[in-house]
Amino acid sequence: MLTGGTRDARRTERYLDELMAADQRRVSEFPVDVDMDPAVRLAARELRADLVRVHPSFRFEEALAARLAAGAMRLRAGLHVEIDEEAAPATPGTMSAFRSHSPAAQGSAVTAMPPASGPTEPQTAVSASAFRRLPEMAARQSRPLIVGGVGVASAAISIGAVYVAWRHSHPASGRMGRAARTAHGRATGSSRRRTGVLNGILGVVS
Amino acid sequence: MLSRAKEGARPARLDRDRGLVEAARRDPACFDALYRKYLAQVYSYAYYELRDHHAAEDATERVFMQALAGLPRFEERVDDFIASRSVTTESGSDSADISTFRVWLFRIAHNVVANERRRDRRRPVTPLEEAAELSAPDDVAESVAAREAFSAAWHAVARLPEDRRRAVILRFVDEMSTAEIAAILGRSEGAVRVLLHRALRSVADDLRGHLS
Repeated sequence: MLTGGTRDARRTERYLDELMAADQRRVSEFPVDVDMDPAVRLAARELRADLVRVHPSFRFEEALAARLAAGAMRLRAGLHVEIDEEAAPATPGTMSAFRSHSPAAQGSAVTAMPPASGPTEPQTAVSASAFRRLPEMAARQSRPLIVGGVGVASAAISIGAVYVAWRHSHPASGRMGRAARTAHGRATGSSRRRTGVLNGILGVVS
Repeated sequence: MLSRAKEGARPARLDRDRGLVEAARRDPACFDALYRKYLAQVYSYAYYELRDHHAAEDATERVFMQALAGLPRFEERVDDFIASRSVTTESGSDSADISTFRVWLFRIAHNVVANERRRDRRRPVTPLEEAAELSAPDDVAESVAAREAFSAAWHAVARLPEDRRRAVILRFVDEMSTAEIAAILGRSEGAVRVLLHRALRSVADDLRGHLS
């Protein structure tokens, strides 16, 4: 024996089924149960029209697809997929102010205009963990090593240049040095200029 | 499995995603098809629940990564679901054409979003209705009216108790059947029917108040 509430609930369910089916058939009119509360029917139609499905940005879709593909490769190799169980920190860093909060922009979330509410308000915060998880960002893990290597190489070149400049400005005074200078002739004017320029750049004081 | 069906009942299709799921289980790279198919649905659910699209993106990512990692364990959950729901029906209208994968995916989404909401209490977010009220540069009366209507409907939904609101979002945004919603929320189908009916009555009252 159905109670009044259960009967009404079943009636509402049938109506919702009809409403969804009519939408799929692109039909606006369909037979309705006359015993159904018209206010409930109106509310259902309002919600059907207003609660639309939204799509994330294309950039997010492709970034996540890349992460899933990387995860799939790990699974294929018999490894575990890394899942960031930890959610964004309670006080995330504010990293982006270039996304519109307008619902109209939800389908293509990245916009050129900053949101009206300003870049530093809490609601514009993007969790740092989310940013870190983007695949293109993951590649940055090796960056400090590259920077370090460049630094070492740059220092070695500088030391070498200082030594060459010092040797130019301090010719050897031994017998072998004098013999070499005699054999190759004294430094020409252009080579002296080069040495002077080099010393000027490097700040070498003789 | 089918032996559990009631006598005279019409066996329903067990899972419309079975082909895609089996392909993904054979080769995880094929998970991409399931991801593309359900991305908007999962994202929408997260978006309407969390009311912030950054948070919705975080949640969506977590849902799909967990689904990919958990896919090898999916089969037994299918059996659980079929046993609990007995995917046959006398009318044939309710549980037919069900996707157990979608139910499983949304169970993950349900848990992820619930965790996210717990964390949200510690950080402020832009309510969806405020986002809807942001003025556009080319504001016209029509768009204002549309935003007001959206805002009114959303205000009404946002004021609903948690379980009713989730049922409404799953029903209207993700277009799920009562059986699917029941499986995701861990309620009986009868309870979900009543939830939805009461939710619509509340929304109707709110809208009536808004109009008057």
